[in-house]
Amino acid sequence: MSKVLSSAKENFLFVVVLIGLVPMVLTNNYYLHIINLAGIYTLITLGLNLLFGYTGQVSMGQAGYFAIGTYVSALLMFNLQFSFWLTLPLVLITCAVGGAVIGIPAMKLSGPYLVLATVGFGEIIRLILLNWTPVTKGAAGLTGIPLPEFFGIKLSSEQDFYYLIMSFLLLGTYIAYRLAQSKIGRTFSAIREDELAAEAMGVPINRYKIAAFIISAMYAGIAGALYGGFSGVASPDNFTFEDSVGFLCMSVIGGSWSISGAVIGAFMLTILSEALRAFQAYRLIIYGVILIFTVIYMPQGLAGLIQERKIRIVARLNTVKPSGRP
Amino acid sequence: MQYILNGLPIGAIYALVALGFSLTYASAGVLNWAQGDIVMLGAFLGFTFFQVMNLGFSVSLCISMFTLAVIGIMVQFFILRPLQKRQAPEINVVIATLGVAIIMRNIALIIWGADAQIIPSPVSNNPIQFSMLSITPQDILIIAIGILIMLILQVFLKYTTEGRALRAVAQDRYAAIVMGIDAERSDAIAFAASSALGAAAGILVAPVFFITFNMGVGIGLKGFVAAVIGGLGNIPGAIAGGFFLGVVESLAGGQISSGYRDAITFALLILVLWLKPTGLFLQKTRQKV
Repeated sequence: MSKVLSSAKENFLFVVVLIGLVPMVLTNNYYLHIINLAGIYTLITLGLNLLFGYTGQVSMGQAGYFAIGTYVSALLMFNLQFSFWLTLPLVLITCAVGGAVIGIPAMKLSGPYLVLATVGFGEIIRLILLNWTPVTKGAAGLTGIPLPEFFGIKLSSEQDFYYLIMSFLLLGTYIAYRLAQSKIGRTFSAIREDELAAEAMGVPINRYKIAAFIISAMYAGIAGALYGGFSGVASPDNFTFEDSVGFLCMSVIGGSWSISGAVIGAFMLTILSEALRAFQAYRLIIYGVILIFTVIYMPQGLAGLIQERKIRIVARLNTVKPSGRP
Repeated sequence: MQYILNGLPIGAIYALVALGFSLTYASAGVLNWAQGDIVMLGAFLGFTFFQVMNLGFSVSLCISMFTLAVIGIMVQFFILRPLQKRQAPEINVVIATLGVAIIMRNIALIIWGADAQIIPSPVSNNPIQFSMLSITPQDILIIAIGILIMLILQVFLKYTTEGRALRAVAQDRYAAIVMGIDAERSDAIAFAASSALGAAAGILVAPVFFITFNMGVGIGLKGFVAAVIGGLGNIPGAIAGGFFLGVVESLAGGQISSGYRDAITFALLILVLWLKPTGLFLQKTRQKV
């Protein structure tokens, strides 16, 4: 039994097949749209989990990188007729630079000061988008962002985007998973647990901190590029401080110290907020209550809760086997 | 020069909000993200008492400050205490107060609706000329009430038993507990006081800006910036930081560009954080092992 639970490769294949089959069963475009949106948010949350959950560096400015991704990709397609795929490396580079811009001062900062620096970054990006009218079209935003092409086929339906976004999501999840398991991931955890001890052990903590910021910025940037192609429009209103807070909520409620937590949190909150759309103000009150409840009663998030259950079940299965008993 | 003068009333308001941030941070070690929304609730309560129920301006001010103080104690009791008991990491406490902020904002939306309201100024709005400079009586009122409240806070912190206990907890929480001070009671007082300060800021800002259910995000951020510039947890620093930010904003808006005013403020802030992470008005402390 424990062998089934631990074989990650089989689970991964199972998930791929499952994801591939969803659009055959779920033909409703509205539902697919929500899943696509959740997929994009999952990418951001994955990056945030590596930064916040693993490395312990909080960011309340992820919407800034999300915005950079969308605008860089869209503007390159508009003004220089780049193809969607060609914009991706440039989005990655821009976001890496943006990540370093916050990562370098963040070496010295912690707690509330770090929160403020990241909030400030997000706001600066939003204000630039709002005021640099000749390029970004200001508050009106960009409309008619070109659709991405895949070997000459224009991706236009929700189903096309579903496969595009899910491919990126699978790749992103895989990379995040491998990163978390690698030496880098363990170093991140060491920094979160005790920065001074890690430094004393010879870990170049500043380099790793900057790396964590850059990685999370890149995740948000790719999500932004996908969002631009997917929604076709972008305005500064899509990238506010509240959105950054929303991403942090996804991370915390799902479970910030795990890869699956990002997926659970982003999907749960996106679906929940769509389901409760009719009750606008009440919906957000429920959000707030869930958030407070989570940090007080299950600080490891939903993923932590599931993990705990799983360990308990496996432990029970192991004790039931009468191997060592007379 | 005129710009500096224009920055003072808004600076006084930022200083009140910044004091709220610093007070809870100094005592309970909590960055209370709901501070901005407490300002918003204060403004709406003031609007209700003053405009709808026709109570006087000063009466409305006192009642809103009192109501918000009670709400502050409730936040401390129902949210902060369970978190402290579980020894939650600092950032989780911040996230919990974010949740409080979201709840407050949307309760306000349900009660008062999405329309912007305004409290008419209790005094005249015609500028008075002093040779080259001009200032409205309303601005003078804001600065005067702001400074009066700050003075009352100073007296409270310096000369009352509760205030002294609060400062002791801020200086060294465990030593204070050992000396027999009820640290949780101090936290409650800090939350009550900072919420009352927020309410005052809300009522003072209401005749200048429109009050809306989501005004708390902007003003909370500004107050936080002011508190950090002054060194978070540093009471005189928060006041200085508030006025400093008000003046810088007024200068940046008037001399450079009004659209980029906030962007300039935040860029300056990141620079300050990078060069002097503990604020402009505080000695740098080394992290100890």
